Amino acid sequence: MSESTRPRGAVGAPIPKLDAPERVTGRIRYIHEIGLPRMLHGAVLRAEVPHARIVRVDTSRALSLPGVRAVLTGADVPLVPFGHGRDNTALKADFVRCIRDEVAAVAADTEEIAREACRRIRVEYEPLPAIFDPEEAARPGALRVWPEREDNLAFNYHYDHGDVAAGEAESDAVVEGTYRLHYVTHACLGTSGIVAAFDSDGRLTLHSVTQVPFLYRRDMSRIVGVPPEHIRVIQAAIGGGFGSKLDIYPYEPIAIFLARATGRPVRILFDRGEEFRDSPTRQPAIVHLRSGARRDGTLTFRTARLLLDNGAHTSWGATTPFVMMQTFSSLYRVPHAAFDAEVVYTHNPYAGSFRGYGNLQATFPIEVQLDELAESLGIDPLELRLRNAQVPGEVTGQGLVFQSCGLAECLRTAAAASGWEEKRRAYAQAGEGPLRRGIGMASMVHTGGGAKIYHSDGCGTVLTVDDFGSVTLVTGATEIGQGSETVLAQIAAEELGIPVDRFTVVNSDTQVKPWDVGVHASRTTFIAGNAARMAANKARRKLLDAAAEQLGVPAGDLEIRDGDVVRASDGKVLTDVGRVVRKLHFATRYDVVTTTAYYEPPSAMQDPGFKGNVSPTYSFATHVVEVEVDVETGVIRPLRVTAVHDAGRVINPLGALGQVEGGVAMGLGYAMTEDLVIREGRVLNGSFRDYKLFTAPEMPEVDVRWVETADPDGPFGAKGIGEAPAICIAPAVVNAVYQATGRRFRSLPLRPERVALELARGEGEE
Amino acid sequence: MPVTAFHAPSSLADALALLAAGGRPVAGGTDLVVELAAAPDGGPPGALVSLHRLAELRSVAVEDGDLVMGAGVTVATLREHPLVREHAPVLAQAADRFAGPQVRNAATLGGNLCHASPAADLAPPLLVLDAVVVLAGGEGGEAERRVPVDAFFVGPRRTARLPGELLTAVRVPLRGGRRASFQKGGTRPSMDISVVSVAASAELRDGVLRHARIALGAVGPTPLRSPAAEAVLEGAPATAATVAAAARAVLRDARPIDDVRASAAYRLHLLGVLAQRVIRDVIDR
Ligand SMILES: Cc1cc2nc3c(=O)[nH]c(=O)nc-3n(C[C@H](O)[C@H](O)[C@H](O)COP(=O)(O)OP(=O)(O)OC[C@H]3O[C@@H](n4cnc5c(N)ncnc54)[C@H](O)[C@@H]3O)c2cc1C
Repeated sequence: MSESTRPRGAVGAPIPKLDAPERVTGRIRYIHEIGLPRMLHGAVLRAEVPHARIVRVDTSRALSLPGVRAVLTGADVPLVPFGHGRDNTALKADFVRCIRDEVAAVAADTEEIAREACRRIRVEYEPLPAIFDPEEAARPGALRVWPEREDNLAFNYHYDHGDVAAGEAESDAVVEGTYRLHYVTHACLGTSGIVAAFDSDGRLTLHSVTQVPFLYRRDMSRIVGVPPEHIRVIQAAIGGGFGSKLDIYPYEPIAIFLARATGRPVRILFDRGEEFRDSPTRQPAIVHLRSGARRDGTLTFRTARLLLDNGAHTSWGATTPFVMMQTFSSLYRVPHAAFDAEVVYTHNPYAGSFRGYGNLQATFPIEVQLDELAESLGIDPLELRLRNAQVPGEVTGQGLVFQSCGLAECLRTAAAASGWEEKRRAYAQAGEGPLRRGIGMASMVHTGGGAKIYHSDGCGTVLTVDDFGSVTLVTGATEIGQGSETVLAQIAAEELGIPVDRFTVVNSDTQVKPWDVGVHASRTTFIAGNAARMAANKARRKLLDAAAEQLGVPAGDLEIRDGDVVRASDGKVLTDVGRVVRKLHFATRYDVVTTTAYYEPPSAMQDPGFKGNVSPTYSFATHVVEVEVDVETGVIRPLRVTAVHDAGRVINPLGALGQVEGGVAMGLGYAMTEDLVIREGRVLNGSFRDYKLFTAPEMPEVDVRWVETADPDGPFGAKGIGEAPAICIAPAVVNAVYQATGRRFRSLPLRPERVALELARGEGEE
Repeated sequence: MPVTAFHAPSSLADALALLAAGGRPVAGGTDLVVELAAAPDGGPPGALVSLHRLAELRSVAVEDGDLVMGAGVTVATLREHPLVREHAPVLAQAADRFAGPQVRNAATLGGNLCHASPAADLAPPLLVLDAVVVLAGGEGGEAERRVPVDAFFVGPRRTARLPGELLTAVRVPLRGGRRASFQKGGTRPSMDISVVSVAASAELRDGVLRHARIALGAVGPTPLRSPAAEAVLEGAPATAATVAAAARAVLRDARPIDDVRASAAYRLHLLGVLAQRVIRDVIDR
């Protein structure tokens, strides 16, 4: 797309989200507000034990409770295995393998009755030994979570490029370490839920919070035995997703089975305790990383060995190595790299996808280790990173093509804006008293336009310009609170020359919208944006052709500006688009202006060795964090975050700012306060009282800046920004804490307790 | 507790009558409602008696040489009230570190003491101020009885309050020359339950500490005073050595536990650090 990217009003304008008024006045309809006539309320009984044989389930006391309409156990429903490992079922009939496992479900007249009925179900368990430590589970002869399998290895991944031994031989410095990343949860304000309803023909409507409506329909079909074409998915406003709604979880088919059993619509809503305990977590990881460099700082090699806890069932967490390896292979120029990951079953709860999709866990060890490498070489961390930063056009060892790449500029801008040099120097002198300051940095690379993991990574759009000049944009893409509606309208508005306030975006019904892969991999702005632009382009051409015919002037002399058709040479208004469409209906052609487009990105599915350009573009960022550490109490106070992002051309600076600030808060929580404590398979702090999100008073000043590379394939040069802001905060915090305290932490989170006790222990590494 | 009725009496006499009939007081509800939600069926059923219409529980005044604060005074009020700031600034300091604005607007002084969490943030300041709680109702009818805060906490979540009694006020004797300080620690600076809290008070005359008090939160079954540290401070010179010795002595009176919020080891470590800081602050103030 070689056209000029000069702004025509819409692109680049910092406009509030189109649905903001609905959200802030409480009118938007979340899943909790979807009620249907005759609807029943479902509740799920889960295992209280991490591993046991189900001896007997006695549902009689539940069935006798007035208002109970159905009670289902594993004996009553088809147990079609689902999930990435085909190792989960809606209900469990014989064994439970983690505390989340669904043993029975109830539909009743009210939620209270349904929950009370669950409490009345008596399950007799024969407790069995369990295994919770992934390192133990990985050992030969370990207790097997699935006895029918040879061992606990659920998946493994190998990737390499170059020749690591040769790289190591060229190294003047080599560092290695083991890094541990913990469990955190998405903490969505809107808890999970679903409403399932069959019509009299047996067709199924699901009001769902899924991020992937079309794949959901396909996969759900298999689980519940309804043909996919008979499943309609209507997406309620999603009250926070961050990846937690990318998979099908058992409560969803359970609601469908309850609806089938009762012949009535059934709604299941998680309460807050369930949201903490029973929704997927971020994938925990143990990473052993080794890397080297020449004396001048040029990186020579990187090898990583990872062990991931799969939990008892497989969700998307098990596939995060796919994204992690991109960072191991391609964050900075690494001539030789090798990566091995093993994912092992345990009796712990399982992880799903979570903003960044493994990239936080990959970027953390790399960026912390880079600082260690810099120190051992006597090179400033900024200089080391600059020396190895890629340039536009570069192809990485894994075959990722960085056609636009602002990494070096992100580094330079972040350093200048944060006062890196002066502060680095000033804080090098250890202060007096318990308060010590430090400054640290880290960068990241992430897909900026999806990831081709299916044969298409595309998105469809239908666009109509109506007879009053309003535009309806029907996009396959999913709004998850990130502001995609607004950005898509801005892109189409820019292309069409019709202002954003005349747009309605329709995006929540599989019966209406064309196909799309789903919302993940920071793909929507890029892919749905290109699709919207293509459809808008077709509509513009159609409008101009019609106007030319109606006005009797060549189409090439006309333009659409602000909804008017104007003479290009002097901007004189000749007619408006509504009138053009009306004439098209009634007079000239008996036609409408409805266009369709399907955009398929120029990315590739990777080969069996994981090589290939999986995304059409990549986003980059550098974060600099300045901290003050109370070395006695262990409290770390972030003073200032400088976040510089290359997300290509910024379509909506206000929305993008929100993405960065939110990501920084999430990343700081990951680094310092958030910790889902799971012991012996049980969640110990499943409430906002004991699970510590980073809250407003803790938030430091965040200085957000943009390096606006114009991506040649991005819509008006744009790239994705959704996941990037959460990715490289934690290592920047750790690097800053190192400068402040002389202690290099290799695991997260840096809760005051750990920091204080480690520092009090004195010398030596963690 | 299954709730059978909700009463909102407008006089103290009516409230006491309802409590005598077995009702349970509810003030801001920031502890009680959490408790009810966690165990809706726990304990015998009962009626709730709301205190929100009792204006007499919400006054702050100086009377007979005491600062008298009604049980219904909110934490937000403690944080801002000029009389509290003047006569018991350490209480305002604790109120400032208490929860967040929404909870501070609802949470009350009486509720904090009667819930009797070992981590109640208002307890250590009141312990070092020699505060006295005023109770009415129960056997004594409308007659009042006074109990030093020191004797009020008798066990985990247990107080000297008898069935049917209402805590009506807290009295802090005014004492010129007293300095006091409070500190707490947790995972997060705001909206966090104390992992450890410490308050200290003393008078400083001719470089010597008198009437020294030091009280601790979240390191034992109740908020508690530290006799060992008070003994070190009493009559001692205001020096760094005294501070260090007292901060060590505090540890002898602490019996912290391990839980999901913190380990006992960190609680002891933090206690030592915060004790030094409050004592130093009392000396330097
Ligand atoms: C999000 C959150 C954050 C919090 N943060 C803190 C914090 O930082 N520090 C802290 O110390 N606490 C904190 N708390 C706990 C709580 O807010 C306080 O203990 C508060 O002071 C309780 O007061 P209340 O008026 O809400 O009491 P209620 O919940 O109404 O009552 C608590 C108990 O006291 C009894 N009671 C109340 N008033 C009287 C009375 N006058 N006479 C006799 N009995 C009475 C009730 O029957 C009940 O048993 C927090 C709570 C929440 C929910």
